[in-house]
Amino acid sequence: MSSAAERQHAGPPQPSSLQTPVLQRELDATHTWQGPGGAKPSQITRWMSKRGVIAIRSFVIFIALWWLLALWVNRPVQLPSPLRVAIALGGLIAAGEVSENALISVSRLGISLVIAAVLAIPLGFLMGLRREAEAIIDPVVELLRPISGIAWIPLALFIFGVGDILPLFILVYVAFFQILLNTIAGVRNVDQRLIAAARTMGVGRWAVLRYVIIPAALPTVMVGIRLAFAAAWAAIIAAELIGAPSGLGFAIEWYRELLMSPKVFAFLVVIGIVGYFADLALRALQRWLTPWAQGTELA
Amino acid sequence: MATTNRAPKLKLSNVSKEFTAPGTGQRTVAVADVSLEIQSGEFICVVGPSGCGKSTVLNMVAGLAEPSSGTIEKDGVPITGPGADRGVMFQDYALFPWLNVRDNIGFGLRHGTPGKELSRSTREERVGHYIELVGLAGSENKYPHQLSGGMRQRVALARLLANGPDILLLDEPLGALDAQTRLILQVELLRIWGETAPAEQRKTAIFITHDIEETVFLADRVVVMSTHPGRVKAVLPVDLPRPREETIRAEPRFGHLAEEIWGLIRDEAYRAIA
Ligand SMILES: Nc1ncnc2c1ncn2[C@@H]1O[C@H](COP(=O)(O)OP(=O)(O)O)[C@@H](O)[C@H]1O
Ligand SMILES: [Mg+2]
Repeated sequence: MSSAAERQHAGPPQPSSLQTPVLQRELDATHTWQGPGGAKPSQITRWMSKRGVIAIRSFVIFIALWWLLALWVNRPVQLPSPLRVAIALGGLIAAGEVSENALISVSRLGISLVIAAVLAIPLGFLMGLRREAEAIIDPVVELLRPISGIAWIPLALFIFGVGDILPLFILVYVAFFQILLNTIAGVRNVDQRLIAAARTMGVGRWAVLRYVIIPAALPTVMVGIRLAFAAAWAAIIAAELIGAPSGLGFAIEWYRELLMSPKVFAFLVVIGIVGYFADLALRALQRWLTPWAQGTELA
Repeated sequence: MATTNRAPKLKLSNVSKEFTAPGTGQRTVAVADVSLEIQSGEFICVVGPSGCGKSTVLNMVAGLAEPSSGTIEKDGVPITGPGADRGVMFQDYALFPWLNVRDNIGFGLRHGTPGKELSRSTREERVGHYIELVGLAGSENKYPHQLSGGMRQRVALARLLANGPDILLLDEPLGALDAQTRLILQVELLRIWGETAPAEQRKTAIFITHDIEETVFLADRVVVMSTHPGRVKAVLPVDLPRPREETIRAEPRFGHLAEEIWGLIRDEAYRAIA
């Protein structure tokens, strides 16, 4: 879902339109520059189908290796074959267990992302805009940030017990820092020339915040939300494994105790697939909210 | 025009600007001891090699940067910050990447002081007028990243004009245009500035450029700057009649003036590429 490069994303994407290559200035004024998005459709379809072929091939090789390994290990409880897992998955889907648990996990994730965003975005703006606020709050953030969300599970069990609150708490915690740090970076790196331009048009402080700083920081905030999703999706399984009476993580733990490994594996597959589609949805949201930041979008 | 005894519109007195590099603490004198009086309605062109402090002077007049020493006054009042009375067209356009052409041009009218008293339809009309003027009709809904350099420059020009400032600060505003569009917009710019209107109704313009013929065609006076540190080397009055027609370029006086300006910057221009 998220590569190492994506995690290390430090600065915000620079609005590409502001960096005009010298050569491009020489283009005739009536000629519309065709960016990377302006390639011919036939090229795009060819490229897509090429990528599609590569993806399917990798997938087939992966399944084949898995199968060989399963045959070689020959202990279905430890490593069931892809076929057994597929059959188990089919059964779970038919019984409605997949949709039920996936829906619970995805709702938890969605709710906690919203809560984390509501807390972290305003705080990030405050810290990005005001050095004093940053000086006070940053030490606490830096102290808490290295403590992984999962490390809080034992303590959270004491406080909240097994239930719905615990996974929400863990997920909000995990998502919060990703959104906060990216929001701060986004606000810090707003192109100062845009603020200067607005001020020479007699735009007041609040309007500069509302109509310049917020939209300029938005692409980086969106990056933070996608990173928060990736981190939270990784943590949700751990949180549900121990601390929740429902959800995909709970289902895995349930079938592990029953030694039904094909079903455990089936749920692993579901986690992968749901995560993949959720990320696609977030990307679509990103494209819709910040269409001008296309070129800088993370792969 | 420089001989009128009215108080100057803009008065720069011994203005210097020094930058200190944050890491090394090394100081660069970008502008040294610039004094200049600009009358209301004057069209001033500034030429000089890259890095001679032209943009820095403009930023200080705009109120975006403070002089390290010296003062800048507008109508006898020191400039303390930016304001819509001094519109700027930035060298790198500074367009808002999340807004399309129409909304970029209408930004100041919508969110700033210039549009405070205007109705929505008046604002839209004005935006439409400047879209037409700079030849961007049909591209209203495009975003900056979808435009060529020349088109972006025209958006920035339209955005500046739509705000109706009485002082125009233009930092190489036509630099990215092809030669033909450039000639057309030069004439258009003179018209907007108020060439055909009586002198007291004209805007005041400071226009930075690299193009010597452009300065002669546009200016009442040409300020020639030299580098290291940035100083005013000479101020030349351009005694060509207005309104200026295209044919003026063929006149001997036009050529003499261009020659004279080139003479003042030739040495540094050669040194810069040596
Ligand atoms: N914000 C800044 N910080 C440090 N040095 C600067 C800054 N802005 C300009 N300078 C320096 O000041 C000098 C003049 O720059 P500038 O006004 O942009 O020149 P011009 O517009 O004539 O090309 C240059 O040497 C430039 O490097
Ligand atoms: Mg410059």
